[in-house]
Amino acid sequence: MDIVSCRAYPGAVTDRARNGGPSSNATSGSNGKRTRYSAWSLFSHGLTTKDWPLAWRKHDLARTYDVVIIGGGVHGLATAYYLAKNHGIRNVAVLDKGYLGGGGSGRNTAIVRSNYLTPEGIRFYDRSIRLYEGLAADLNFNVMFSQRGHLTLAHNDASLRTMRWRAEVNKIQGVDSDVIDPTAIKKLVPYMDTSEHARYPILGALYHPPGGIVRHDAVVWGYARAADAYGVHLHQETEVTGIDVRDGRVTGVQTDRGAISAPIVVNCTAGWSTLITDMAGVQTPIQTFPLQAAVTEPVRPFLDTVVVSGTLHVYVSQTDRGELVFGASVDPFASYSTRGSLEFVEGLAGHVLELMPPLHKMRLLRQWAGLCDMTPDYSPIMGPTPVEGFYVDVGWGTYGFKAGPVSGESMADCIATQRTPDVISAFTLDRFTGGRLVGEKGAAAVGH
Amino acid sequence: MIQLPCPWCGPRNVSEFRYAGEGGHRPDPDTTTPVEWRRYLYMHRNPLGWTRENWYHGSGCRTYFSLERHTETHETRTPDSQVDATPTPENAGDAR
Amino acid sequence: MTQQDTRTTGAATSHRLAVQPGEVIDRSSTLDFSWNGAAHVAHPGDTIASALAAAGVRVFSRSFKYHRPRGLLTASFHDPGATLQVDDEPNVRAAHRLVEGGMHVSSQNTWPSLRFDVKSANQVVGRFLAPGFYYKTFIKPQRLWPAYQKVLARFAHAGVTSPDTAEGYYDKRYAHPDVLVAGGGPAGLVAALAAAEAGARVMLVEEEHHLGGHLRWSADSDLGTLAELTGQVAGNENIEVLTNSVVLGRYDDNWVGVVQRGLPGVPERLVKARAKVLVAAPGLMERPYVFEGNDLPGVMLSTAVRRLINLYAVRPGQRAVVLSANAAGDAAADDLRRVGVDVAAVVDPRRGQDVVRARGRRGGLSAVELTDGSTIEADLLVTAVGWTAMTSLLNMAGNRPIYVPEAARFVPDSTTMPDNVLAAGGIVGDGSLEQLMAHGSAVGGQAARRAAALRRARVATTPTSRGDIGRDGPDEQAAVTVPNLPLDPHPELFRAGTHGIVDYSEDVSSKDIISAAREGYDSAELVKRYTTVTMGPVQGKLELVNAVAALAEATGSTIAETGTTTWRPMYAPVTLGALAGRTFEPVRYSPMQPWHERQHARPMVAGQWIRPEHYGDPVSEVRAVREKVAIIDVTPIGKLDLRGPDVPKLLNQLYVNKWSKLAVGRVRYGIMCAEDGVVMDDGVTGRLGEDHYLMSTTSSGAGAVWEWVENWLQTEHPEWQVHVTPVTTAYASINVAGPRSRELVGRLTEGIDLSAEAFPYMNVRSGRIAGVDDCILWRIGFTGELSYELQVPAGYGLHVWEALLDHGKDLGVTAFGVEAQRILRLEKGHLIVGQDTDGLTRAYSAGLDWAVKLDKPDFAGKPELVWQHAETGGMRLVGLQPADGSIVPPEASQIVRPGQGATLDIVGRITSSRMSPTLRRSICLGQLDASLAAPGTDVTVRLPDGRDITARVTEQLAHVDPSGERQQLVTDVPEPVTAASKAPGPPRSPITPDGVPAAQPAAGGRAHAEVRIEDLSGLAKLGVRAAPDGPVAQALETGFARATRAADGSLVVGSGPGEWLVLAEQAVSGDVRARLESETGSPDVFASVVDLTHGRALIRLAGPRSADLLSKVCGIDFCDDVTPDGSALRTSVARLVTDVVRDDQDEEPAYLLHCERSSGRYLFEALIDAGTEFGIESVR
Repeated sequence: MDIVSCRAYPGAVTDRARNGGPSSNATSGSNGKRTRYSAWSLFSHGLTTKDWPLAWRKHDLARTYDVVIIGGGVHGLATAYYLAKNHGIRNVAVLDKGYLGGGGSGRNTAIVRSNYLTPEGIRFYDRSIRLYEGLAADLNFNVMFSQRGHLTLAHNDASLRTMRWRAEVNKIQGVDSDVIDPTAIKKLVPYMDTSEHARYPILGALYHPPGGIVRHDAVVWGYARAADAYGVHLHQETEVTGIDVRDGRVTGVQTDRGAISAPIVVNCTAGWSTLITDMAGVQTPIQTFPLQAAVTEPVRPFLDTVVVSGTLHVYVSQTDRGELVFGASVDPFASYSTRGSLEFVEGLAGHVLELMPPLHKMRLLRQWAGLCDMTPDYSPIMGPTPVEGFYVDVGWGTYGFKAGPVSGESMADCIATQRTPDVISAFTLDRFTGGRLVGEKGAAAVGH
Repeated sequence: MIQLPCPWCGPRNVSEFRYAGEGGHRPDPDTTTPVEWRRYLYMHRNPLGWTRENWYHGSGCRTYFSLERHTETHETRTPDSQVDATPTPENAGDAR
Repeated sequence: MTQQDTRTTGAATSHRLAVQPGEVIDRSSTLDFSWNGAAHVAHPGDTIASALAAAGVRVFSRSFKYHRPRGLLTASFHDPGATLQVDDEPNVRAAHRLVEGGMHVSSQNTWPSLRFDVKSANQVVGRFLAPGFYYKTFIKPQRLWPAYQKVLARFAHAGVTSPDTAEGYYDKRYAHPDVLVAGGGPAGLVAALAAAEAGARVMLVEEEHHLGGHLRWSADSDLGTLAELTGQVAGNENIEVLTNSVVLGRYDDNWVGVVQRGLPGVPERLVKARAKVLVAAPGLMERPYVFEGNDLPGVMLSTAVRRLINLYAVRPGQRAVVLSANAAGDAAADDLRRVGVDVAAVVDPRRGQDVVRARGRRGGLSAVELTDGSTIEADLLVTAVGWTAMTSLLNMAGNRPIYVPEAARFVPDSTTMPDNVLAAGGIVGDGSLEQLMAHGSAVGGQAARRAAALRRARVATTPTSRGDIGRDGPDEQAAVTVPNLPLDPHPELFRAGTHGIVDYSEDVSSKDIISAAREGYDSAELVKRYTTVTMGPVQGKLELVNAVAALAEATGSTIAETGTTTWRPMYAPVTLGALAGRTFEPVRYSPMQPWHERQHARPMVAGQWIRPEHYGDPVSEVRAVREKVAIIDVTPIGKLDLRGPDVPKLLNQLYVNKWSKLAVGRVRYGIMCAEDGVVMDDGVTGRLGEDHYLMSTTSSGAGAVWEWVENWLQTEHPEWQVHVTPVTTAYASINVAGPRSRELVGRLTEGIDLSAEAFPYMNVRSGRIAGVDDCILWRIGFTGELSYELQVPAGYGLHVWEALLDHGKDLGVTAFGVEAQRILRLEKGHLIVGQDTDGLTRAYSAGLDWAVKLDKPDFAGKPELVWQHAETGGMRLVGLQPADGSIVPPEASQIVRPGQGATLDIVGRITSSRMSPTLRRSICLGQLDASLAAPGTDVTVRLPDGRDITARVTEQLAHVDPSGERQQLVTDVPEPVTAASKAPGPPRSPITPDGVPAAQPAAGGRAHAEVRIEDLSGLAKLGVRAAPDGPVAQALETGFARATRAADGSLVVGSGPGEWLVLAEQAVSGDVRARLESETGSPDVFASVVDLTHGRALIRLAGPRSADLLSKVCGIDFCDDVTPDGSALRTSVARLVTDVVRDDQDEEPAYLLHCERSSGRYLFEALIDAGTEFGIESVR
């Protein structure tokens, strides 16, 4: 089954947490008042047989919304949440052709880091990490953010130079990362083959302590539940079939459940984003490539940090319940298929065993694929478009999940204030024809 | 592992080929404008469905050829007439 | 307790029955193994679980969440209760894995012991552990979450790995069956036979250790049929049987992954099959029933009970209640009675009876409560409430199963089945054994017909084939009628009145699913993610339908409306070792590698190349170059042989500078940009003859540049007449550098006037060096010293290298490595593309303004450079020298200046830096903001340790000898004397450079070798290029993809479109070459001949199993109708581009493998490794 499996083990630990929620006046669910999640609410529900209230409600499609957001993943839901929370814009609809978080949000390997190459990239992703750090409390939903450290291995002097480059820029931006040597790597990951005889010997690594993993579905559900509490309408199984544009400005969308009129439409989709921009007549430099991932059977946890090797095109992390989660770079040709391929898992296994030979007896349980919108400079496309009122938050390549919170926050700013916030000013659509590509392309590193 | 119909070698595993992108007409470098040129460099059709694209059979006959492929089902068919496989951002990028 | 006692008690096979007709155990001998430390015995044929069950073991593991005791449920591979640790192997399927002597088996997920597990406390608090409970707590304070997390991790399920596990040896192979049958039950067996009889090559894959499916544990009469069928299969040479093997997945174009287990010496082998037609015959899996206590040890499926009794002669319990809604349940009751189990009650839902709950005591079933209010003491509850069709393979082929309420199961949707996939047997419907076999037979026949049609199409489109499909196939048009299989009515039984476990591996109950749905997680996908149902090791095979039923119940919709989720590979878990197989990572060596190894050079991995980084002391190597003379092996430098009248046009298109007026014998440095103006590669190109050029590229860029060149020639300018041949390793490249270089080179060079006037800087000549003809001599300098680059026919590279060292002793000649070269070029200010430039550096940012010629009509990337030229700003490449010359700022140190407030702006970075042995101070190159790039500007460099230092922008990029005087030939050098050098002797082989085979073949434990391998690199190899259909093609009498022998004994290979390779014995090579040149010589045809003798390696494989060997390293179908004798093709062999020519010898298959020289040793070793299984012998 094609689902990412990245979650903490449900053990029983009691907690003295005090209640807290995104909004005091928020109402929720079938039974009137919103129930806050806490150890106490768990306990009381355990004593009774009463159901938990709905995490989010179902609504009929309204004729009009102030903002229509296309795409019910982390980006779309976060944008809705921050529109409501930070700007009081609550007459918002989030449309998804499937179920919440069924796209990239539910298929990525949930790695979060901010050790990028360019100042603009670093500032952006660093803000995202800050938001992740406070997200559980903010959403009253444990997203299990685990800052276990992130290693990017260098197998030749060119990539070691790139790691140093990233480390130095990171430090200047106040982001914690540095280059460490094979001995230090071996200490962090005893299974790693750091010998000089390896086919691709490990010369060093970029170590980024704040990086880690998060429970991706929880982020989706947390934002959905919190947005719903603010009155945002979440419409699942609602496919956008057209975008209405009159005199160069957007007026609404057509869906398989009927038409909606709205002055502002935001494209927060991934994988299919160009199909949406096509509807509005906006051309983008995006091409869709599958990104595959796989997970093993659980074994007793032995790998604490996230390990990435750009040279070997593989990244590995272990969930709290013991599964190894693997990812790689995108498929070698453009495609909308999520069926996955055998050659992918063959290459993946080979590269994992290059790094950690003792793991050959572990078994691969399941593989899956998601769709990535690749741009020429490994950076997203955010903000307004030539069509007035039509905004994009697309082109997220292989790094969209880690940017979910900051994208939602800055897109909400962009829409509410009608001006592009500095934090995303480098990512506007017109940079391509203007020849202002983002420098992440400088090192053209695989970004996970 | 899908197979691609190489016009010379017949059906071969896709791993023998390099994807060379959608292709497109190369503007006249003397008269082109930044917008036109960068559209040629960066923009894509990226359709969901049948598309015409270029491939290089690097592990075989080493010819560039164009092909029609369905981007969801991965079915392929030989195009009626060969389009010119102009260098595209993809292969320019790979060559860098 | 002594070991003896343990045996008699622990393993006194108290539950072992008398001999059963279908049993698979060999009672004549026993095997010793241990279970949680206690000694046990088993019979050969016993699975770990059957042996333990025979010893009376009931509890095998603890459940995932509540740590409830778990016993056998299905007694098959997919039994969720029997996942155990065996030695250092975690998660072993104990109900499938056969016992081997000496195994140490232990339970997983238990602490301190299986009997008493403290974590079972979770059962008590279970009611508070609602689904997704962990999202609802540990929320505040945030900082405590990591601590909680550590506790949670302790609960992690499953076995343990060890960092000390020795590396494993796994295997892989390709297969090309006409028909692949997944499932060796009655329908699969018959389908395989029918297909084979219709002439198809069949691969039959069975998950169990034996063929037969349910026939194996059914009535005695079925055993007769089974023996008959398996006999026929064994006797049919068209059928390859893989038992204890499983189809992992079906991918696009019927690419089918199969894992073969338990092979001698290989734990698992991945078979990659390109099946023309896939027949899915997986049969049915019995579905558990949901009720309170349904996971107690002693609650089993009817199929589990029948397996235990009939295959392993194990008594599953003493007193049984049988819940039977179908014939299988009734048969289980009969089996139990037959072996003397007290069947206390048969509960028949068909007559309205049902169970309410199962009660347990001491970790096992003790009583069963029925709907009639009665409670029956029992230690065994057998359930037979329905089946699940294993539709996953079909689902992977795009088929979505449909639900049939009358039969209470999902079945394939026959209307959406792709043509190359068929379903046979129980997955489709029910019926008598005869009906199932009739169905299988018809499907098998249909599969064979479709496969034959596909084979015919395949052969027609494959140029190597001769167009006939060899064997007489079946009548492809003949209409086949596949009889319908009836769907027996079956009551819909998913859950009794009580709630119980739905997902045994994840501990998810029906109650969990319903409450999740009521919380809003109300679609199949959401409830799966929220409760984790179907996400455990069993991957939904047992529990999916029960989960869907519970969800439908909660949402008030039907099962059909609710639907299922998508099945993804793997069907069964597979080891990483099997998926990885042998890792094929081509390695490239220069001809001088043996010398480097003898000198213990420090190896440096540069992509596929292994190069000497230094020979001990790079600094003294630098001094040798500056003060005396030294030589470096630069063979990896890319080289393209360019021939034809239009080469100047090509060069003008590729490079930013001008090429039209390059005279014969002249050399020019060129820069290539991509279409976005970004610097892509650089190198020198020399004009060797009127229409003959040699282009050099960076070693890492060689491959990409070649593709780039072909792209321009094939797509933009097909009208240009240019032939491109990669000759990187046809020549060994040796750079002789230093003030005494000319003297040294002179001593060995014949036929070239080295005087300053006759051979100035940036010129190229060819002649004889150290007795070797056809050497090319360049006067160029990357190091900034007077230097000559020698291109020597590779087979003589080592000879010339050693001759230079012999004849330069008195000049103090030494070898230098890559590190010294880096220092030297940095002193000289030569940039390295990709280090001093990056993915955004356009030509003007690389300090290449002098090279860019915007007045050329066109060249790659011109528009971007026109615009960049008009811009100010951006980055510039500059030379930098730290004020404190003792500090070397590490490469990638950032150049900064104060920004707003406390922040720093990044205005550049150090791209190269070293301590200069010549200047005795640190020197750098850097990318710097144009506004600061003026010479003399001081900038601040932030070191990694946080210190800031000052560096000054230098006048030029060159730190040493900016004016280039050192490269000039000082006139007062005495005229060199040419010393007589050792005769070159025969050229060296790339495979056996020191005369000894690179690898000694292992016999593979076989009496005689079935494959012979021979190094034929000594043969002459001539490359011919001409129009594919012109006069040259006719003269060669060999078409593309064919190989023919010419009258003179040479082998002419149609290796590419308009490309031929001619192989000949050295003795006749001269005549052959003469003939080819006369054939290509005519002035009105555009054709060329390039001698590749030194540039390629050639290997012959011969023997009965040579094709089988190739199928381990190559994806091509080597059967006679696709690749008959005389076939020629280029493909990937062990991930190396290789020309394969089938050239049978005396009625025996033989293959010639021809690859680029520097990888010859790698290919030879890969082939020998792949041949071990068949026994392989190296012949000279």
